[in-house]
Amino acid sequence: MKNPVLKRLSRYFAVFKISFHQEFAYRVSFIMWRVRNIFQIFIVFFLWDTVFSTQGRVIFGYDRTRMLTYVFGLIIVRAFVLSSRAADVAGHVARGELSDYLIRPIDYFKYWFTRDLSSKFLNISFASVETLVLYLILRPPFFIQTSPFSIVSFILSIVLAMLIFFMLLFIVNSVPFWAPEMGWGSHFLLTVIFVEFLSGALFPLDVLPIAFQNILSFTPFPYLIFFPLQIYLGKVGTAILIKGILVSAAWVFILWLVMKSVWNKGLKAYQAYGR
Amino acid sequence: MGDILVLMRKKDDSTEEKLEEKAIIIEHLTKNFEATVKKKGLSGSVASLLSPKKKIVRALRDITFQVERGELVGFIGPNGAGKTTTLKILSGLLYPTAGFIQVLGFDPWNRKPEFLKQISLVMGQKNQLWWDLPAIDTLELNRAIYEIPKKRYVNVLDELTSLLEVKKLLNVQVRKLSLGQRMRLELVAALLHEPKVLFLDEPTIGLDVVAQQKMRDFLYDYNRRRKATILLTSHNMDDLINLAKRVVIIDKGEIIFNGELKELISQFAKEKLISLYLSKQADIKKFEEIGEIKKLEFPEVVLSVPRETVAVASAELLQHFPVADLTIEEEPVESIIRRVFKGERISRSKRK
Repeated sequence: MKNPVLKRLSRYFAVFKISFHQEFAYRVSFIMWRVRNIFQIFIVFFLWDTVFSTQGRVIFGYDRTRMLTYVFGLIIVRAFVLSSRAADVAGHVARGELSDYLIRPIDYFKYWFTRDLSSKFLNISFASVETLVLYLILRPPFFIQTSPFSIVSFILSIVLAMLIFFMLLFIVNSVPFWAPEMGWGSHFLLTVIFVEFLSGALFPLDVLPIAFQNILSFTPFPYLIFFPLQIYLGKVGTAILIKGILVSAAWVFILWLVMKSVWNKGLKAYQAYGR
Repeated sequence: MGDILVLMRKKDDSTEEKLEEKAIIIEHLTKNFEATVKKKGLSGSVASLLSPKKKIVRALRDITFQVERGELVGFIGPNGAGKTTTLKILSGLLYPTAGFIQVLGFDPWNRKPEFLKQISLVMGQKNQLWWDLPAIDTLELNRAIYEIPKKRYVNVLDELTSLLEVKKLLNVQVRKLSLGQRMRLELVAALLHEPKVLFLDEPTIGLDVVAQQKMRDFLYDYNRRRKATILLTSHNMDDLINLAKRVVIIDKGEIIFNGELKELISQFAKEKLISLYLSKQADIKKFEEIGEIKKLEFPEVVLSVPRETVAVASAELLQHFPVADLTIEEEPVESIIRRVFKGERISRSKRK
């Protein structure tokens, strides 16, 4: 008899595999999505490059090197945190495709988290190549973090960020249980308004007024992009780092509870449409 | 003391065994849906947005029936009667509003893996096969999900694909398959884990006659060989007549009949059919006075008459017409079921 844990894992490995195949079935759309990412980086890069065109200029504590590192770090962190398949959950709920998963002995959260990992794996592979190419083209000064403590904290914060984003998506994507036509709207609100603006995916958040930053530091959003990058750039002291890790871990816990309870309520309201 | 314990255990065992004989138990099952009522037009949409009016839709009203292990039961009724809702509750997709249900000794709503590994739900219009990939990828995924040992998987897959004649289609992208091919592969995916209970919702919908027959042959065989319990809904008369011995009829969320097909006829047939062979031409109009003409192709005439008057009618026919031969038949089961599908409230005839 094989190890039961191993057996259960092999189930999710199969999901990982098929998900990977699926991504390749839509090669063109995947490439377009990567192209979009590159353009985004270009725009943000040139914006800040222009701002820092005067020698030795420092804005909000960022010199040219750190700002451009921030921009490059964005590619990698975005690929880790914001590339997610779980956005399809709303459609599954609204169109009743969820039924196909509920009927099989597989955990729906783990299923999507596995698909997320598969998507992230693919995106990161591409993002690494892109970063290298862009680096060779733009030749920006790049800040390389050497402190092992910072690197370990950086990785930890990325893992927490991935979990936070996954659960935020899942909660938002539960809306169609009660309002099947609102899935896309609520998703848009979360990813475009909250995540893009408040996570630091467009600009480093410390350009914002201090009071606003303080409020933000208690929401889950800055821990998605901004906080991990700050750790990498070595811009946070140990006290703030520990506070940040604790707050994001707390959010992981809170969001997990919310996700479970919303989902259980949702399943009771689920109407398994489509017939 | 010890003796009492043994006795108690014995008693428990026997009740358990009794429950075990039933694959499906449904008692006083009720399901209400909440639906938002929307008025027509833009003003209606705005109004429903501002103050949504909720309406309770009573999909199932206190239904009760059971299915034995290994039984194949047809579950029929007009559209919107509650058939699919019942299947969805039995497979754990929908939360019942009230009542007791048990499938293979499990409460479906808990969706325990041990339960899910023993059941399957196939819906004619749903697909679990990944659209962009060949079917074999989904099958491999299911092998992992259901933890089917490799050897068993190879054997079952071989058996299913040859029975359903889809071996060559396994490596074709699903979207490139015809509906009939896809449905058969859907069935392979649904049966790969050899479920003990099978919920089939319109398994032959959209298939051509040949494909329908293949599907029926297969289901008949599967039911017999595996001793699998099958609950089947279908609009296809042939499915029911060829496959199901017992039928449960549901209408407006209530069970109106539960018994063998034969019984259905004796309980619900309001009319009998009289077929005549005439020796000479006769006046057609006079037939109309006796009963409804179902067929008129000289020399054969088929009349439908209320069953209470069948004796009088045949006497009259024999007396006034040049009858060479006369037989009295029951209303065919198709026509009874058709009446059920039309939503005609079939009333029990007084005669039993």
